[in-house]
Amino acid sequence: MTRGTSAVAVTGLAIVVLLALLAFAAPLVLPGSPTAIASAAALQAPTVVEPFGMDDLGRSVLSRVIHGYRVSLGVALASVVMAVLIGLPLGLLAGYAEGVLDQLIMRPLDILMAFPAILLAIALTSVFGTGVLLVSLALAIVYVPIVARVVRAAVLATKAEVYVEGARAVGATARRLVLRHIVPNCVTPLLVQASVLMAIAILVEAALSFLGVGVRPPTPSLGLMLSDGRGFMLQAPWVVVFPGLAILLAVLGFNMLADGLRDWLDPQQGTGR
Amino acid sequence: MPSLTYVVRRLALAAPLLLGMSVLVFGLMRVIPGDPAVVVLGYKATPESIRAMRETFHLDEPLLTQYARWCGGILRGDFGIDFRQNEPIGRMLVERLPVTIELTALASLAAALVGVPLGLLAGARRGGAADRASLALGLLGISLPDFWLGIMLILVLSLAAGVLPSSGFVPFAEAPLENLWYLALPTLTLASSRAAALGRLTRAAVLDVVHRPFVQFARAKGLAEGAILVRHVLPNAAIPIVTVIGLQVGYMLGGAIVVETIFALPGLGRMTLDAVLERNYPVVQSGLLVVGAMFMAVNLVTDVLYGLIDPRLRRR
Repeated sequence: MTRGTSAVAVTGLAIVVLLALLAFAAPLVLPGSPTAIASAAALQAPTVVEPFGMDDLGRSVLSRVIHGYRVSLGVALASVVMAVLIGLPLGLLAGYAEGVLDQLIMRPLDILMAFPAILLAIALTSVFGTGVLLVSLALAIVYVPIVARVVRAAVLATKAEVYVEGARAVGATARRLVLRHIVPNCVTPLLVQASVLMAIAILVEAALSFLGVGVRPPTPSLGLMLSDGRGFMLQAPWVVVFPGLAILLAVLGFNMLADGLRDWLDPQQGTGR
Repeated sequence: MPSLTYVVRRLALAAPLLLGMSVLVFGLMRVIPGDPAVVVLGYKATPESIRAMRETFHLDEPLLTQYARWCGGILRGDFGIDFRQNEPIGRMLVERLPVTIELTALASLAAALVGVPLGLLAGARRGGAADRASLALGLLGISLPDFWLGIMLILVLSLAAGVLPSSGFVPFAEAPLENLWYLALPTLTLASSRAAALGRLTRAAVLDVVHRPFVQFARAKGLAEGAILVRHVLPNAAIPIVTVIGLQVGYMLGGAIVVETIFALPGLGRMTLDAVLERNYPVVQSGLLVVGAMFMAVNLVTDVLYGLIDPRLRRR
């Protein structure tokens, strides 16, 4: 791990932690309410008190961005956690059992992976309906095959290791083999993948909300802010500039974290894969 | 050329996947809560109109019969009619498909033309200023929300500067130049993040190769750096690059939904999204299947290209 890559990882981690703190301590630091309407302040340009300006209904853009982070990060975290809870056991089982069971688990998941992620998410929200929880669920389903594949690959690689064979030779049970020797080797690739998936989830949630099939108003969502703001962005560019920058920053944070983790875990691959 | 059996084997693997996709898409549209006839007719629903609609769309038949009817129709090129205007879905697909294919092809081309050379340069001079700049640019690029980029391009180049159009479309066959004029911003929007991703991957693929003995040998015999890159490094880094270009095309088929919506392009993605929003399930069903099938076809082509790039893989 070179100094450059550790700087990337640390910066990424710092961004992620900072944004998470901001999102979940939002009510304490807010300059104003995200939903309070003040028509007198409609489309007011950024000031010292309201550095991001006001939207068409006179709501604080800064306050809405911070609340939007809650939804963004919340949806991303919920979807990744759910995907890992389902995908990890599936991948372990498929990789450990191989043969028929492997086929039975992985082939249906291949079908899910045969659709572009955002398209599958749209199709799923058309079934589930919109809203924070349902969007998280849709994203989780999109991610399960990805998680299962990563875990399965790690299991297959680990199974061939001499120490696993050794443990088996001295009579370790299957349960012990998997939990003590194989799972720990899946943790690291899974962490990298989880960080990438967080980044993608933030993008996809924003895109879904932007398209009208994600989070519903009046919940402040970064994607919704962009679609609402399009109508008057020429008069008030801040209504679309800041929410977009906010998405960019969060996604960048998770991508940097993923890059740094990847290099740290696999120094041979070199920087910035 | 890859052998015929190689191609046939790949095609044989694709058939069950396609079947599974059709089952998934059909199943999804059937587990949506509520009676589609009631949902679609809305306040206009009367017992008679509901009965008529159920009859027209065979909604009372057993699921298996409905599925068989749908698949049988597709095999004959008949995708059925839509819930709203009773228009043949097949014709809608034929109208919309070229727009999405052109947009995806242009964006893939742009991403490859920018991403691959940048990645090559960065990988060839690892640690240099160009490399570090491209690393930062790559990270920023893959983190850029494409729909936001589209909005910003419209704001700056269309609304403020008035240089390029923010919406509208003319088929290529009617007016090629005008067509490209309208597709300039959508292509840029769709291609940017993919160019960044491709650049990152190309760099990694190059780094995997540059220290191999044959590269050192080429350098030792006095070959120019440029020639080494193009003749020795690039062919050996080609497999991962081609794989990712294939994956990118699939990603763009999804991203096209967003871009077509922002720039009001009459493509397949926007058709599918509109159908989702107005609960036009037969259209959603066929739109999803067609995009999935295209995604699969791209993967198939990628597989066949492997055989062209690396003859050893043909025998697998």
